Amino acid sequence: MRLRNSVCALALFALAAGPAPAAEDFRLVFIAYQNPDQLVDNVEPVVEYLEARLGVGVKAYVATDYAAVVEALRGETADAGFMGPLQYVLAHQEAGAYPILGEVYSGSSTYVSRIFVRKDSGIESVEQLKDHSIAFVDPLSSSGYMYPLDVFRQQGLIDHRDDADAFFGRIYFAGGDEQAIRAVYNGFVDAAGIGQYSFTLLRPEERDQMVAIGESRPIPSHCVVVRKGADPELVDGLREALLALNDGPNRNLLEQLYNVDGYVEVDHSTYAGVAELAKEYGFVRE
Amino acid sequence: MALCLAIFCDHPATAHIVPPEELHPITESYRRLGFFLQLRPLPSSEVARDVERIAAELEALDAERASAFARAARPLVESLDPATELEPNEQLTARRALFELATRALAAALETQLADARASLADYGAARRSLDLARQLWEAFEVEIRAADPQTFVELGRCWLELSSALGHPGVLGVGVVAPDSAAFAEDADELARYLRINFGEAYRVAEAGTFAPVPRQRSDPERAVELPIRLPPGANLNKQLPRPRQVLNMATRGVDERETTLIALGDMGFDSSFIFGEPARSLALSCNTCHNKSITNPGFFIPGLSSRPGGLDVSSSFFAPHANNGHFDPIDIPDLRGIRFTAPYGRNGRFDSLREFIRNVIVNEFNGPEPDPTLLDGLIAYMLEFDFLPNPLLGADGRLTDAASAAAKAGEEIFNREFEQMGGHSCASCHLPSDHFLDRRRHDIGTVAGAEENSRDGALDTPTLLSSLYTAPYFADGSQPTLRSVNEWFNDHYELGLGETELEQLTAYVETVGSGVDAYEDTLHTLEAELEEFSFFLSTYEFLKQRQHSELIAITFKTIALEIRAHKWDVQDPSQMPTLDHMASLMDAAGEALQQGDWAAVDAGVQEYRRVYAENPQLR
Ligand code: HEC
Ligand code: HEC
Repeated sequence: MRLRNSVCALALFALAAGPAPAAEDFRLVFIAYQNPDQLVDNVEPVVEYLEARLGVGVKAYVATDYAAVVEALRGETADAGFMGPLQYVLAHQEAGAYPILGEVYSGSSTYVSRIFVRKDSGIESVEQLKDHSIAFVDPLSSSGYMYPLDVFRQQGLIDHRDDADAFFGRIYFAGGDEQAIRAVYNGFVDAAGIGQYSFTLLRPEERDQMVAIGESRPIPSHCVVVRKGADPELVDGLREALLALNDGPNRNLLEQLYNVDGYVEVDHSTYAGVAELAKEYGFVRE
Repeated sequence: MALCLAIFCDHPATAHIVPPEELHPITESYRRLGFFLQLRPLPSSEVARDVERIAAELEALDAERASAFARAARPLVESLDPATELEPNEQLTARRALFELATRALAAALETQLADARASLADYGAARRSLDLARQLWEAFEVEIRAADPQTFVELGRCWLELSSALGHPGVLGVGVVAPDSAAFAEDADELARYLRINFGEAYRVAEAGTFAPVPRQRSDPERAVELPIRLPPGANLNKQLPRPRQVLNMATRGVDERETTLIALGDMGFDSSFIFGEPARSLALSCNTCHNKSITNPGFFIPGLSSRPGGLDVSSSFFAPHANNGHFDPIDIPDLRGIRFTAPYGRNGRFDSLREFIRNVIVNEFNGPEPDPTLLDGLIAYMLEFDFLPNPLLGADGRLTDAASAAAKAGEEIFNREFEQMGGHSCASCHLPSDHFLDRRRHDIGTVAGAEENSRDGALDTPTLLSSLYTAPYFADGSQPTLRSVNEWFNDHYELGLGETELEQLTAYVETVGSGVDAYEDTLHTLEAELEEFSFFLSTYEFLKQRQHSELIAITFKTIALEIRAHKWDVQDPSQMPTLDHMASLMDAAGEALQQGDWAAVDAGVQEYRRVYAENPQLR
């Protein structure tokens, strides 16, 4: 049921209206964080570039949530897509998908999650958050739930995600990074557990009122994932075409690709830590 | 989820650039409408545009309500058109009615979205979309609710978190599914709806004070005075240009040690300080430097309702200084201040002969500041007298092209010096004198200004210099010409000069050559080190100001440095320096407090400590 819904959503945002894609077209799903229509326009030069490099037609689709990307790879309505590490682990487990490239931001292919509180809260350590309220982003987020919760596990404050309810006074899922960090800034909650970059969503003078009291283990960055059974030649082509953006003449296209600094090659082992953690939390089967 | 978006703002080169708020179009237009409605004169065509935008966007959410809104709003908008000539009190009534209408429409649309989310809880995607939309509409009210009723603001903030959490999660491929909690959702949605109806429903009225902002009617502490933050409307841009233009300071070119030039240092500080202005400029952190970025015009500066194009604004508006409002909308392109000591008289129409008069007027009348200390004015003048034009190897001292100029430019020089019957026997050069910085210190009505009435004599403007002008587009006082080429076309058409394509190209090549210069832009992206150096230059005035007992100027200096450090510290390349920068800013805060208490020993100690920290942290230089 959900599968069908998502594929409809995909079709809705197909770049080119017109005949169904030819069998040999390469189909790429982008995830739109905000404005799907805008993204469709933005990725057009990327599509043209990839067509020239791969020598086949490239069709771009835009999905509005990760589940749709994963489902498109499993349903073979797309050959490759962009997703977060936890979604990848699920896509691998459920559909045999595999990663080819990781994104690089600010010179790094990993990032961390942090536990933020207001400076004037008097809270200085994560232990002190016992019985306090915390906002995460959503229950299936690596940087906005799994890794920040792991900070508490590493400190021996909780054992399993089911203990979190007992440790915290109240857990909220704010639905977005900005909502989560603003919830702390505005005093709706005592803390937020989110990816490090969320902090910059605050205005400079607002950032000064916040402080991080905990930091997670490194999280591998978002990745480009390919479906099981995709044409290996095209997969190699895609990998090389995207890697060539790192310091090639088409570097400006990276701006349309979520403004990454570039790509690095990855394989399943890059995400072993994520898979391990996902297992501990019961997100993936033993 | 918004990881990538977050990173857009984290680009180190632009960290001190404040990204525009991302608002839903309805919220954006509504907030702008509130800003417009307080202005005199009313920017009526912009009011009409935002009202139509609200109607069009509402249409997609709730067609019936949208057309009811449009039906009620359009006659009000029409009545506010200057042609209708409403009496002042009728004007005010119409403005209020329009804002009340928009407020109620937004609140109702928000309530509908909450109801839609609730009805679609079984479909996570649909429910999430409706809830997100509701929350984006909420941003229309948030700032005022926070200011007027902080306690309720927090309670309602928790409602939104409850709502988001109650949506549950659909999981991915059946993993991580969390069922929605419809009872919890209903409870919080009802609470928000009730709040909206009470405060922004039929009974909503614009507060008596006449501020067009959604101040809630019911507040937990009705005795508490409501102080709304001063804000610019969505679409405003006060960021400075990138790449940074290169400032040419005569003293710096000569290699003068900046610590020896006290008055200039004081002026540099004043030029960067919003504390020499009054409200609202002060709270908006506006300074001379915002518009005249290190003497160079800021081409992106824009305030909806006060600017007609980027790079200009109405400097005699009701917003920045109601007492000095001239009552009509006359936005002016921000002029370049390079070479200002050679370009008197001042103002596009040359209305002030001296820089001193001009600057005092800017501070007191344009930006509502207190009467400036004469020493501050002396400082500002001393600083501005150092502003030089860009050096230009293609021009000799007499203003004639050198051999290095192109053939086309040389041909253009001849045209520039040609006398035209059609221009009353003038050549371009007889007004833009090459030997006198391409100006004549006279005012001419060349036909670029729309007069107050037929045959009025109010269109004369001071001849502007053409030096360094290649980098100051757009052109003319109203910014109506996008390029130097289009200026030349304007002259050609207006005076029927009969120049053909080749001659136009040659004239343009000439004017562009005159307007060019060496290294117009800096190649450094990271400005923090340069800024910190400038702050210690500001602080070098301390002993002089203390000796002359200028406590007020010392206080301004401390406040300016603290504010600027906090604004620029996010540019720091090495995050481990952050605490040092915070420390330096708080030293300035503390010195300011000591100054207020007259504790000079503590003030001295604070200044010394600041200098020591700066000296001992070579990474900051
Ligand atoms: C909000 C933008 C803004 C700010 C802030 C501002 N100016 Fe201006 N400035 C303008 C505009 C627009 C003009 C053209 C006004 C006119 O000609 O009537 C102008 C004109 C001038 C001129 C005349 C230039 C000439 O060639 O005739 C001088 C001098 C000047 N400003 C100095 C200052 C100083 C000093 C400050 C700070 C005390 C300052 N300005 C603050 C926008 C600004
Ligand atoms: C009678 C005097 C006069 C003559 C002749 C004259 N100008 Fe000007 N020029 C002015 C004045 C006054 C302005 C300012 C007009 C305005 O701002 O609306 C101006 C503006 C300009 C500007 C725009 C400068 C800026 O920064 O906005 C350029 C370029 C220019 N003139 C070039 C020329 C050329 C080329 C000619 C010959 C075809 C010429 N002018 C002839 C007086 C003159």
